Amino acid sequence: MLRSELRKLTTVRAPWLLLAAGPLIVVAGVTGLVESGGNVRDPAVQAQALAHAGLAAIITLLFGILAVAGEYRQATITDTYLSFPARGRVIVAKLAVYGAVGAGAGLASCGVALAITAAWWTAKGAALHLSAAQTWLTLGGSAAANLAFAVIGVGLGALIRNLVAAVAAALAWIALVEGIAGQLLGSGLARLLPLHASEALDRTNILGAGRLLPQWGGAIALLGYAAAFAVAAALTTLRRDVT
Amino acid sequence: MELEVRGLTKQFGAVTAVTDVSFTAPAGMVTSLLGPNGSGKTTTLRAALGLVRPTAGAALIGGVPYQRLERPRRTVGALLDAAGFHPGRRARDHLRVLAAAAGLPDRRVDEVLDQVGLTASGSRRVRGFSLGMRQRLGLAAALLGQPGLLLLDEPANGLDPAGVAWLRGLLRDLAGQGRCVVVASHGLAEVAQTADRVVILSGGRLRFAGPLRELGVTGGALESAFLKLTAAPA
Repeated sequence: MLRSELRKLTTVRAPWLLLAAGPLIVVAGVTGLVESGGNVRDPAVQAQALAHAGLAAIITLLFGILAVAGEYRQATITDTYLSFPARGRVIVAKLAVYGAVGAGAGLASCGVALAITAAWWTAKGAALHLSAAQTWLTLGGSAAANLAFAVIGVGLGALIRNLVAAVAAALAWIALVEGIAGQLLGSGLARLLPLHASEALDRTNILGAGRLLPQWGGAIALLGYAAAFAVAAALTTLRRDVT
Repeated sequence: MELEVRGLTKQFGAVTAVTDVSFTAPAGMVTSLLGPNGSGKTTTLRAALGLVRPTAGAALIGGVPYQRLERPRRTVGALLDAAGFHPGRRARDHLRVLAAAAGLPDRRVDEVLDQVGLTASGSRRVRGFSLGMRQRLGLAAALLGQPGLLLLDEPANGLDPAGVAWLRGLLRDLAGQGRCVVVASHGLAEVAQTADRVVILSGGRLRFAGPLRELGVTGGALESAFLKLTAAPA
């Protein structure tokens, strides 16, 4: 089953073009940070630059959504279920494959983040502090966030099988809904929301939230969302007729 | 291998697509599933494949439902419609994905491409394929696992006259090898030349199931029998 899922991925170009956008976001983001006057001698700014690798997780989220919702859109899901009538196991295989590829994409984004940050820091005559524990916690957390959002995407796309609806729901949540929900819930509960959890994991703080989970807590919360979506899909949409 | 449909009923919301349909398609024969548009042919095939869940009754393949087949791809080959291809995937890669899923060697991919006459187009992306080529690719997918049961929904759609003649020979060969071949169709002339047995559906109900000769073997006689059997009851 894993081999078949891998072959599906390696025989089309679209998902790889999508994933290539991750490192591009990193390059643009770090460049923007420096050009807008970020102080390259400030260690906090260095961490902020590296944390752009975590922002690339929005791309692995879309990539994950393609796993199931994309198959419904192309109607290849029929063949998939004919090969594997146990539909829940198909989702588990996709979680594994897309999680692994998402993690790989995250590592690539981390590599690009390091390279572009090093290039700018050198250009501005500053030294990159690679020995700082914060550097590696940020990069490790960013790679983990890419993995986590890929598997969240798989679960979400399984639950909302309409590709356009799934992508719209994900983007609306990121752009709008979580911000409002966070204010309604108060910071104690808001830190459990997915974007807050991802900020805890990749140690950015773009939302400017007062309280975040510890880094490991962010990871667990995100994997919890992926599991919740996948289980909800297995209990509902996956059982529906394929016509 | 045979297909046995027992008291199959399927409702989609308020619409009843199939009502209490029972028939058997035996091994070594071509059984034609005939009926006007919307008569329940496709729903019957999809229920047999475990894609839609019957409201009542069952469809059994060698005695078990599709979901319980140990090696579904090597037991049943299905062609449902000429969709279900990623437009950006090459024809050979489409089959390689299915071969990996079924645990079949890639050698089978080249064999079925050759069998359906697509060897020269194997490395083309499906988006450039005509309807007839998509049908051939779908047939190749159905044949991949050398299954004992073939369920084909309108396989002649989009084929040119030479392709239709080729398909007829292929179906006869497959039945001659002892396989059970079930073909949903609305092309009566085709049926008269290919089928051993006929199952006629209309309005989701069974109107006839039996050997073709009981309906009359010539095209004209089949047409009048078909029209009489599928006419809406007064």
